[in-house]
Amino acid sequence: MLVVDRAGGIVEANDAARTVLPDVTGGDGPYENLPDWLTEAHRHMTGGLGATWAEPPSGAIGGRHFEAHPRPGADGDVAWWLIDATDRHLAEETLRREQERAAILSEVSSTLLSSLNVPRCMEVTARLATRHLADAAVLVAPAQGRRHPVTYAQAHGPAVRVTRAVDPATVPGLAEALQGFPPVPTRWIDPGAIPAWAIPEGFEGPVGSVTVTPLPGHGVPAGALILLRSSTVRAFTESENVFARLFAARAGAALSAARLYTEQAAVTATLMQELLPPALGGVHGVDYAGGYRPAQDSERIGGDFYDVHPGADPSQESLVVLGDVAGKGLDAAVLTGKIRNTLHALLPLAHDHQHVLNLLNAALLTSRHTRFATLVLVSARHRAGRVRLRLTSAGHLPPLIVRADGRVEESGTRGNLVGAMPAVSVRTEETVLAPGETCLLYTDGITEARGGPLGGELYGVERLKRALAECAGMPAEAVVERVQMLAAQWLGQGRHDDMAVIAISAPRPRPLTVTGGDMHRGHSGNPGRSGRPGEPGVPGDPGTPHERHGRSA
Amino acid sequence: MTASGNATAGLRDRLWEAVLDGDAYTAADVLHAGLDDGHDRETLLLDVIGEVQAKVGVEWAADRITVAQEHAATAVNERVIATLTPRGPAGPGAGRTGRGRVTVACVDGEWHALPARLVAEVLQLRGWQVDYLGAQTPVPHLIAHLHRTDPYAVLLSSSVPTRLPAAHAAITACQAVGVPVMVGGRAFGPDGRYARAFGADRWAADARAAAAALETGFTAPDATAARQAVDDLPHLTDQEYTMVVQSRPQLVKQTLVDMEERFPALRRYTEAQRERTAEDLAHIVDFLATALYVDDAGLFTDFLTWTAGILEARRVPARSLLVGLDLLGGQLHDFPRATALLHAGTAAVTARPVRSAPDPEITTE
Amino acid sequence: MTTLPPEFGLDVITAPDVLTIEVVGDLDYETSDELLATVADHLTPDPAFQRLRLDFRGLTWIDSMGLSTLLMVHRRTSATGIALTLDNRPGFLQRMLDLTGTLDHFTATAEGEGEAADSGTGTGTGTGTGTGTGTG
Repeated sequence: MLVVDRAGGIVEANDAARTVLPDVTGGDGPYENLPDWLTEAHRHMTGGLGATWAEPPSGAIGGRHFEAHPRPGADGDVAWWLIDATDRHLAEETLRREQERAAILSEVSSTLLSSLNVPRCMEVTARLATRHLADAAVLVAPAQGRRHPVTYAQAHGPAVRVTRAVDPATVPGLAEALQGFPPVPTRWIDPGAIPAWAIPEGFEGPVGSVTVTPLPGHGVPAGALILLRSSTVRAFTESENVFARLFAARAGAALSAARLYTEQAAVTATLMQELLPPALGGVHGVDYAGGYRPAQDSERIGGDFYDVHPGADPSQESLVVLGDVAGKGLDAAVLTGKIRNTLHALLPLAHDHQHVLNLLNAALLTSRHTRFATLVLVSARHRAGRVRLRLTSAGHLPPLIVRADGRVEESGTRGNLVGAMPAVSVRTEETVLAPGETCLLYTDGITEARGGPLGGELYGVERLKRALAECAGMPAEAVVERVQMLAAQWLGQGRHDDMAVIAISAPRPRPLTVTGGDMHRGHSGNPGRSGRPGEPGVPGDPGTPHERHGRSA
Repeated sequence: MTASGNATAGLRDRLWEAVLDGDAYTAADVLHAGLDDGHDRETLLLDVIGEVQAKVGVEWAADRITVAQEHAATAVNERVIATLTPRGPAGPGAGRTGRGRVTVACVDGEWHALPARLVAEVLQLRGWQVDYLGAQTPVPHLIAHLHRTDPYAVLLSSSVPTRLPAAHAAITACQAVGVPVMVGGRAFGPDGRYARAFGADRWAADARAAAAALETGFTAPDATAARQAVDDLPHLTDQEYTMVVQSRPQLVKQTLVDMEERFPALRRYTEAQRERTAEDLAHIVDFLATALYVDDAGLFTDFLTWTAGILEARRVPARSLLVGLDLLGGQLHDFPRATALLHAGTAAVTARPVRSAPDPEITTE
Repeated sequence: MTTLPPEFGLDVITAPDVLTIEVVGDLDYETSDELLATVADHLTPDPAFQRLRLDFRGLTWIDSMGLSTLLMVHRRTSATGIALTLDNRPGFLQRMLDLTGTLDHFTATAEGEGEAADSGTGTGTGTGTGTGTGTG
């Protein structure tokens, strides 16, 4: 207990107070030898504010922590009872720090979990490290070839990503961390020996202390984190090193998940690249357009496919293929790839569809499964303004042909599916497209789209035919777009399978040149949906456009 | 229009003629003549092709062009864009100006690709590396793409208002992986009000605004603040949206039955005619549901007055819509927001001046 | 609310010489493995039946994986010398078999896989009794 007068002079101090503050009574001036926090508390009391704290004032005295409880005396004197609260203070400090650290770790996890992109994860890790652990952080990822991706971050600055050839051995403990060895104690690392590449550009002042922490991954290290503090800041404590390891564990797990995802996504992307339908256009006087809408189902890479293989020259037939593989996922994708590659190899034989299909069938047959494909082959050749087609269905929905007058014909070609039976027998059909006429190939994702105004109904071939009747004279892309649009409308919010469509059109000739395409001149082809006064006018009159948010950009 | 708009008026007229004819060659010639005249590609894309495409929609609504011409015109415009921006291995301006990588896509179920395509082309011309994912991009595919490429921003386009709930889902999904989202397209309202309601990081009125917004910069959204639809739109907890969407088939079926009861003449309809009627009713229900989703009567009344205009252009009396609204109201009377929307719709249609001849068979009661 | 598809189920009925499996519900990507497993369980090297009847009276839908599975069942039964019949085929199944050119294959005799014999051994009883459900 010590008594302090209004002016800050020490009036009295008992033995206990003198033990804690040995010099307290020896001073001359006001507040001399009083700890600052107590001085301030006294001024607060005597300044008229009184003892208005929620918590009693507290602070350090000689390495211990004290609370000061005031008792106002006569003449503005205050008797301060000092109570040693070191243990409680320590416990509270620890709790607060733990809570803070738990919050940081939770932030680290949720921030990192939201992204599966490796560079972004590295950036986030480095930035979070500078926010919570150090003045600067350098994340060194395992080498890709001879170069390491390195991400630099400093407090209040953006993260910088580079890939550079660096020698991990130049930073004590880094090579070990990247190999998954336990971290080297901070005190072994000489801050002066840190090479320039391991210090972010613009780092202020000499490096005061360094810690190198491995980022543990799935079995193999996900990288290492170099944390730097400038010499003006105190060195890393053991407790901070422990926390840095916890931080690194979280970051390493997230980084590894992102890396795993990226590797798998890269495999999928490579496959997809192979499997994605090609962009189509005009080839040798025939117009082609394709449309593909993958199932939302993310497990599904896609069992539908199409290709156009141009003839060697305009006098040669081009081969169009559209097909659908049974099943989904990687198994289906692998089979799709196999079919497309095999057909590519068989192009020289394309004049004989049945032969090609039997060779394909033989290539696909296996004792392990009966996974099959259905497909349509179309050989197309422009001749004198018209397009001659040879159509062959191998167990697939037969092509539909839209004539210039709006009639829609179903091709009579029939045949066996490929890949599950010993032999394939097909009936090829020939037809000729006049300018403005279109042959449509499609997969059952279109006709088996479930939805419609009454819900749960299949779109069906008949509706597709009715829709195509309105597509007379439209260019190939427009027919494809129309079919895709109607299918999308039919589906509404419903789930769906892959949907692939390809249109083969005989372009209307241009006055001077005879390649490429456009639609036939004049607006006569379709009387459109102009009013038919004779019909009852109610909502849904056939004259009412049901695609009413039609096209308007 | 702007000065460049006036300067390009002639080109627009010529392109309009060409697309109406489905003549991609003449269309390409028009644009290349524009290039020769010193117009830049961006001007041609936006002030010529974009404007002509907008006119296509207007002319179709007024029944001055057919569905076939409408689709053909779009196809011609797509072809012309391809000839206007020859694509190198990495796009004309990719990476050269050091601008970042962005993703452009249409919301799932949105088949109007042209507006998004124009934005993608313009951004590419301005030096961005653009991944254009095209029409109808399923959200899982979009998100997988974002994880793979970590773009600076994703631009989502939607023209059809009924795709707004899907757009909202796409916006929150993109933001949850830490990628900022800019949206555009007619669906978001003329002032972008739904973009704001859905918490999009930006809304762009057109392609130029989109490019400008990208150039001023973005901050990445807080990926940890994972939002769900109901956080943006608390009214969804009343379940009216959910209920209307889920019972759409029953609502349409019952309305058809009630209609036939009221107008026995409808029983003579062919299957195809009945289906058209059902589709039209389904459309009304879809827009009703969307209006419930965004809680905005304007979305529903705009749709109805627009539809009324389209019907009248085809000499179908607009008040025929009132029957459907009335019958739907009978089924939804327990749902206050839906009932209010149907009343607002009826009022909006009734307030229109009648333009067509009275229908002999049906009179409103 | 759309109604849930009927629960998939297989009813196995053993009779002298004939094993009947009634397929109820959708035979598709998710359910067809079950059919194959059930058939495999009964196709011992020396089975107690000469004929396997798949009864499709209760079939509500079939997708390409369902058909693939039927082809595998046929391959298995042919290998064991068992005759396979596909009975009470609904219209959509009949149409799928027609379209894919697999009908003859299924109705061919067990020994002659691949030779489209129409001896009628296994044509089943339900040809053409399709109800037409499920197609537009």
